Amino acid sequence: MSEDRQLELADIQGDILRAYGNAYDHTSYAFVHIDCPPEQARAWFSGLLGHVTTAEPWAQKPLTTLNVALTASGLAALGVSDAAIGSFADEFRQGMAARAQLLGDAGPSAPQEWEPGLGTGAAHVLLTINAQEAEDHHRALGRMKAAMRHAGGVRVVSQVDAQLLPGAREHFGFADGFAQPAIAGATEDKVPGGGVPEKRGRWRPLAAGEFILGYPDEDSNVDRHRRLPSAPRAPLGRNGTYMVWRKLHQDVALWRRTIRAAAERYPLGDAEKLAAKVVGRWHDGTPLETHPDGRDPSFDASAYGANDFRYGDDPDGRRCPLGAHIRRSNPRDALGNEGKLSLRHRMIRRGMPYGPPLPDGRLDDDGADRGLVFVSFQASIFRQFEGVQTPWINDGNIFGLGTDKDFLLGDHSGSGKMTIQGRKPFFLTPQETFVVTRGGEYLFVPGLSALQAIADGAAG
Amino acid sequence: MRSPNIAGRTYTLMVWTPILPGREEDLRSTLDGLDRTRSPLLRVPRTHMARWLIVAGMPVPPGTKAQDPLGGPFLLFTSNFDGDVDSYLHELCELMADEAAAIWSHCVGCPRPPEGAALKAYLHRNQVDAGFTFAAYRDASVQQIRTALDKRERLIDFAVRAQDMEPATRRTAFLEEFGSA
Repeated sequence: MSEDRQLELADIQGDILRAYGNAYDHTSYAFVHIDCPPEQARAWFSGLLGHVTTAEPWAQKPLTTLNVALTASGLAALGVSDAAIGSFADEFRQGMAARAQLLGDAGPSAPQEWEPGLGTGAAHVLLTINAQEAEDHHRALGRMKAAMRHAGGVRVVSQVDAQLLPGAREHFGFADGFAQPAIAGATEDKVPGGGVPEKRGRWRPLAAGEFILGYPDEDSNVDRHRRLPSAPRAPLGRNGTYMVWRKLHQDVALWRRTIRAAAERYPLGDAEKLAAKVVGRWHDGTPLETHPDGRDPSFDASAYGANDFRYGDDPDGRRCPLGAHIRRSNPRDALGNEGKLSLRHRMIRRGMPYGPPLPDGRLDDDGADRGLVFVSFQASIFRQFEGVQTPWINDGNIFGLGTDKDFLLGDHSGSGKMTIQGRKPFFLTPQETFVVTRGGEYLFVPGLSALQAIADGAAG
Repeated sequence: MRSPNIAGRTYTLMVWTPILPGREEDLRSTLDGLDRTRSPLLRVPRTHMARWLIVAGMPVPPGTKAQDPLGGPFLLFTSNFDGDVDSYLHELCELMADEAAAIWSHCVGCPRPPEGAALKAYLHRNQVDAGFTFAAYRDASVQQIRTALDKRERLIDFAVRAQDMEPATRRTAFLEEFGSA
């Protein structure tokens, strides 16, 4: 078996294992619909491949990057056979819209409310373009659209332009995206706090197969036969990964008003502290678990060990509440058993905010569309993304919190609450609809040789 | 000797029946067609949790010539319930007779017609002792759990409602809500 095989970086698309970095602060996500025979579509698709950015280390940073992902209907539109598509995971083939009930995408987040082109089977290929400068960004978009006009039969059905906000914050004002899993052979520098918590304060990296197909995962590592995780059949699966893409609208004014009003009743602090309790971090990213009383002015999110903390010494949630957003989405050792119940549910996140920030202090909605493009990469959407979203974000039972949902992501029924644990607990209500899903897709990000096979009509 | 199927005051029933050749998909459709929002098991109200599972086969190590030891698909039914197995099987065959008939008629050896005492005897005959029993609430009946959950919800609602009240008002409100509970 190939358990010690080096990651084939030249065959893995970029921005999965390692982020391109905050220098690339302009991003466009363009969903392309194919409305022509597969041969014609493959001619256009072939033209993209020379521009796809890989995971190989750079000699110098390119001005722009390009990455390609496909939906199940996109694979079919490019002529991949039903038998080959049948070898992909069920949830991917069903698509995100079909999983709406399980994901909690109801009411204003229901697929019938989504933006045109998303969740209908019309989105076939996702092109992600990153750029350091606005000018390069526009030029790359222009090139992409010219190539589509030239090819004919392909058009963009949905496009979201995203831009990094100052301080790498998301719209509610929190530093975001810096806590990522530590992956063997790729991001071992993130091991303290990003890996698997072990005894005596030690951490170990996660197996690469949790995120890239064709490599041993955590299950292979305890399997006598060292079997690899299931993957789409050759040549499609190797060096690929599954991608979740969600456009999440954020109602910033509603969030601010809710926290401000609740803080007037909160006996143990101000609005800033209450917001930190909801998230599990102060606005600058300082973990509540290590600094429960205030942010650490010297906190550096990119520093080695910035996320080196656990919940084991805080079983009652006195420092970081049991239902805080980061404690739910990555419980570390909070479920006991040395993190064994959470290590199979990790994701690489590459989200980007879109839309203009709401000016500081403004408490009424200005009508602008703003939010977060949530992107995650994982070897199994069912086990990793859905395994977090459904039982951990949308329910509280496993944390001893009954039916409480993640307060930050909101509750469409309006009857939710969050308990802030303490000597005298504080009940944070009402839980409004702060975040609305405006659309989303489940995608597959093939390796370079798989992309080539699709382009050649040789994917099976 | 104590039954391996008993945990606290709950009983764990496991029934293991081979599926008739060529009927696996029909059975799957029957199970898929069960009402998910109003489970037929609600008509057997002492059920804590029950499920039907199609075991399509047993994986054999890759690269070996080993044959699937099961030789075909099986239907597994497991149920955790209050009380004894005899009366439970009787209720299962009487109170959700249509569903039970529709499900087990796809299995080898099921009596025709699949109903009443004959079906009950068939299920009994195919019972397998549990190797390990787990009950989330070993010592509480379904009814006690429902009552406790209802009380818990009421207490949470009260706590949220009362958090800004003065102590005296809160005491009065508490007695109003729970004084007679």
